Amino acid sequence: MTSTTAAPRGAESRPPTRPGPTDAAHAPSPIATSLGYVARKLGLFALTLWAAVTVNFLLPRLMPGTPADAALAKLAQNGPVSEATKAAIEAQLGVPTGNIFEQYLAYLHQVVTLDFGISYTFYPQSVGELVSAALPYTLVLVGLVTVVAFVLGTLLGVLAAWKRGTWLDSVPTLVGSFMSAFPYFWTALLLLFFAGYVLRLFPTSGAYGPTAEPNLSFEFFGDALYHGVLPALTILITSLGGWILGMRNTMISTLGDDYVTFAEANGLKPRTIALRYAARNAILPNLTSFGLALGGVVGGSILVEQVFGYPGIGYLLFNAVTNQDYPLMQALFLMITVSVLIANFLVDILYGVLDPRTRR
Amino acid sequence: MTPAPYAQTPPAANTTLLEVHDLSVHYGYGAGATKAVQNVSFRLAHGEFVGLVGESGSGKSTLGFALTGLSKPPAHIEKGRILFGGKDIASLDAEQLREQRHGGIAMVLQSGMNALNPVRSIRNHFVDIFRAHGHVDRSRWTARATELIGKVELTPQVLDRFPGELSGGMRQRVSIALALSLEPELMVFDEPTTALDVLVQHAVMNTIIELQKSENFTAILISHDLGIVLESAQRVMVMHEGRIVEDAPARQILENPQADYTRMLLSHYADPRAEVVELPGFADRQQRKAEGASRTEAATHTPTVSPRTLRADQHAMIVENVSKIYPAPRRGEAPVRAVDNVSFTLEPGAALALVGASGSGKSTIAKLITAVEKPTSGRIRFGDLDVGSLNRRHFRRLHRDVQMVFQDPYSALNPLHTVEYALTRPVINFTGLHGTDARRRVLELLDIVGLNPVEEFAAKLPHQLSGGQRQRVVIARALASDPQVIIADEPVSMLDVSLRAGVLALLEDLREQWGVSLLYITHDLLSARVVTDNIMVLNGGAVVETGNTADVLRNPQDDYTIRLLDAIPNPRKVVA
Repeated sequence: MTSTTAAPRGAESRPPTRPGPTDAAHAPSPIATSLGYVARKLGLFALTLWAAVTVNFLLPRLMPGTPADAALAKLAQNGPVSEATKAAIEAQLGVPTGNIFEQYLAYLHQVVTLDFGISYTFYPQSVGELVSAALPYTLVLVGLVTVVAFVLGTLLGVLAAWKRGTWLDSVPTLVGSFMSAFPYFWTALLLLFFAGYVLRLFPTSGAYGPTAEPNLSFEFFGDALYHGVLPALTILITSLGGWILGMRNTMISTLGDDYVTFAEANGLKPRTIALRYAARNAILPNLTSFGLALGGVVGGSILVEQVFGYPGIGYLLFNAVTNQDYPLMQALFLMITVSVLIANFLVDILYGVLDPRTRR
Repeated sequence: MTPAPYAQTPPAANTTLLEVHDLSVHYGYGAGATKAVQNVSFRLAHGEFVGLVGESGSGKSTLGFALTGLSKPPAHIEKGRILFGGKDIASLDAEQLREQRHGGIAMVLQSGMNALNPVRSIRNHFVDIFRAHGHVDRSRWTARATELIGKVELTPQVLDRFPGELSGGMRQRVSIALALSLEPELMVFDEPTTALDVLVQHAVMNTIIELQKSENFTAILISHDLGIVLESAQRVMVMHEGRIVEDAPARQILENPQADYTRMLLSHYADPRAEVVELPGFADRQQRKAEGASRTEAATHTPTVSPRTLRADQHAMIVENVSKIYPAPRRGEAPVRAVDNVSFTLEPGAALALVGASGSGKSTIAKLITAVEKPTSGRIRFGDLDVGSLNRRHFRRLHRDVQMVFQDPYSALNPLHTVEYALTRPVINFTGLHGTDARRRVLELLDIVGLNPVEEFAAKLPHQLSGGQRQRVVIARALASDPQVIIADEPVSMLDVSLRAGVLALLEDLREQWGVSLLYITHDLLSARVVTDNIMVLNGGAVVETGNTADVLRNPQDDYTIRLLDAIPNPRKVVA
């Protein structure tokens, strides 16, 4: 037989588990939670940033040889290299002095002051100059287009899901998936050929005309805008479809959620239901993809910039890699990493604003 | 256009509010259509509280959705009329339908837990409704929302919370307040308390009953639980396979049911406190005991299947002063004491009920016994195994003897594998049988759990089985290792009433024939009464009462046990 022994307990039982306001009343104030959330995310951002910067320092040092060795090896192919040449090259490229910690501190100082040395390829320009000249083009072209593609694709996706089964659904969905199936460079080549070469509507390369001088005048902006149309269109065409499909599919599933049915039962206006109930919840998972896309803006534009001869970060990176330009490469890799981190941080904050569940 | 708010129309008795005429709702079209609701006609007078009862698939929710104009494709009204205040709901266009929701028909959904937009505050939920219908002046928004939230016994602070910060019961109360804010003439409650804990369920139901009286709306309560319906409704419609098979006052349903189906449903209700408790397939436990003694003498059952008597000895599961403390869910909060100094012994072949509301620690105890979790303090012994400090390598020894039957048979089976596959895996893993031997054992198991013809069932996929059949497969899977102990965690709570008795009888049979001891975890005191000898009532992780099941239930000492018993919907209580 089963024998059961009750544990010793106080005479009276626990208070009723009746629903009451207790747990809500004890929740911390919304402002305090928001601040705490931002502080947590900021801390995490700082930590990953430090880790990325440190890895960027360690990686080249884990590789065998130095940049000077590589340069010497190249020269040695054309005959023996004298000691004097070797000393000259080492002096030019710089040989690390001091132990690893001193090097690390010096490196950190350089990172903070954005001093990445002189580029090999574009000697005697400094890496800092090159990057700051290229960055605006990439940020404006790829960054802006990525944001536009996300906003436009999401809106079309919302419309497609809300008008499911009508032409507003089938046309964007079909065209979107068709266009996003094209490879980047193929779309670019087609645009170049038809819009640039055959119709001569747009210039086929560069960020501005050969006679233009980069400054803050309206003429220059107009010229830059004109040159940016084809590359921008390429990125828009290839990325729009993904946003449309992603938003449409998540929204169709939120449209089936109980809170949407309940909102309908309560007679809310269709617009309110579509935007504040269905779309508002459906956009959350897409924000993650948006963060990834934003992070890829700086590093992921190589193909487009190469095809259009566009003087952005991708173009620079391509040149740096083909010419073994170590200072430039290191600075660009660091920038790509940091931009991914910043994008993720921004999306985290955005998440916190949009989804109360993440704030806790 | 909009009907006057209910408050201004005194409920004239016997004036018709809703008239449903020959309504059929189909899913899909043509010959392949599923006829969910067929030729349903009824009339509802102002101020009535009507229950709509049926088991899963009876069409009751489909009917509810049709009445509220919420049917979505592929569901559609095939024929018939729904006259509400003289207008046919089915013929209104979308905007007319939307406008009539103020002062018209409101609905509270089954899964009230998910009926609130997770990214909107409760206040904004109210504001959305006020804005959509313009029936509350902007300056009175907060006042009106506070008033409504008070009606469902919540405090105004709730308005500034998000749904995720509220408990299930609170969320369902908010849903009710939102529906109420429409000042509806008719409220349709679709299983409003099903997903909630017993005690919370009871409290929410009481709120609904009180509101119906004070706010004077007409109500339809859709439920699978005849007990709940009979406790609250004045009139009951019983639905079966898309048709209303009986429509009568509650008292008449209870005392003089006409339809066979109603009688069958009623036969599954009993008061666990009664002296003699019988369910279909279950004679009273005490009487059975007396008969059982003579029966075992007469014929010692000789099983044709692998006999468990091969095992030399059976062990007791001994739990000594066990506590389980989980770390605090958030910083600054106290750690959670899920199990608090619990001791008991499950003797070989015994049946022990572990009873308590959700959060009482009963499922944690199951996890501790199966070594899924380790106790913070105390000891659990099973034979020579120290379950509390078992390392992974010895799990197989424990799990050969201690098996689990889960609550939800719908998610406990991999939908991609056949029944045979689901059963073959544990047979190979635990018994070492292979090939044709393993297959023979699988068929034996199916036979034991009563799934005949066995060959046919072995080849089926989970979706081809009913809930009850699935739960039998889950039980067969637990039996595959020839265990000594079965832990059944709410094994029938997801099943229709008419299927419950069969599964319970199977568990009982296993114990009697194969000597398997049973730890029966439940919040359902009636089923505990029919399948167990002893009971342990848990509250907040601690044992508050223990003893012989019949004795404890008939003469409860602890306040918590008494409240649990009071929360059980029991039709007969109303009349008595």
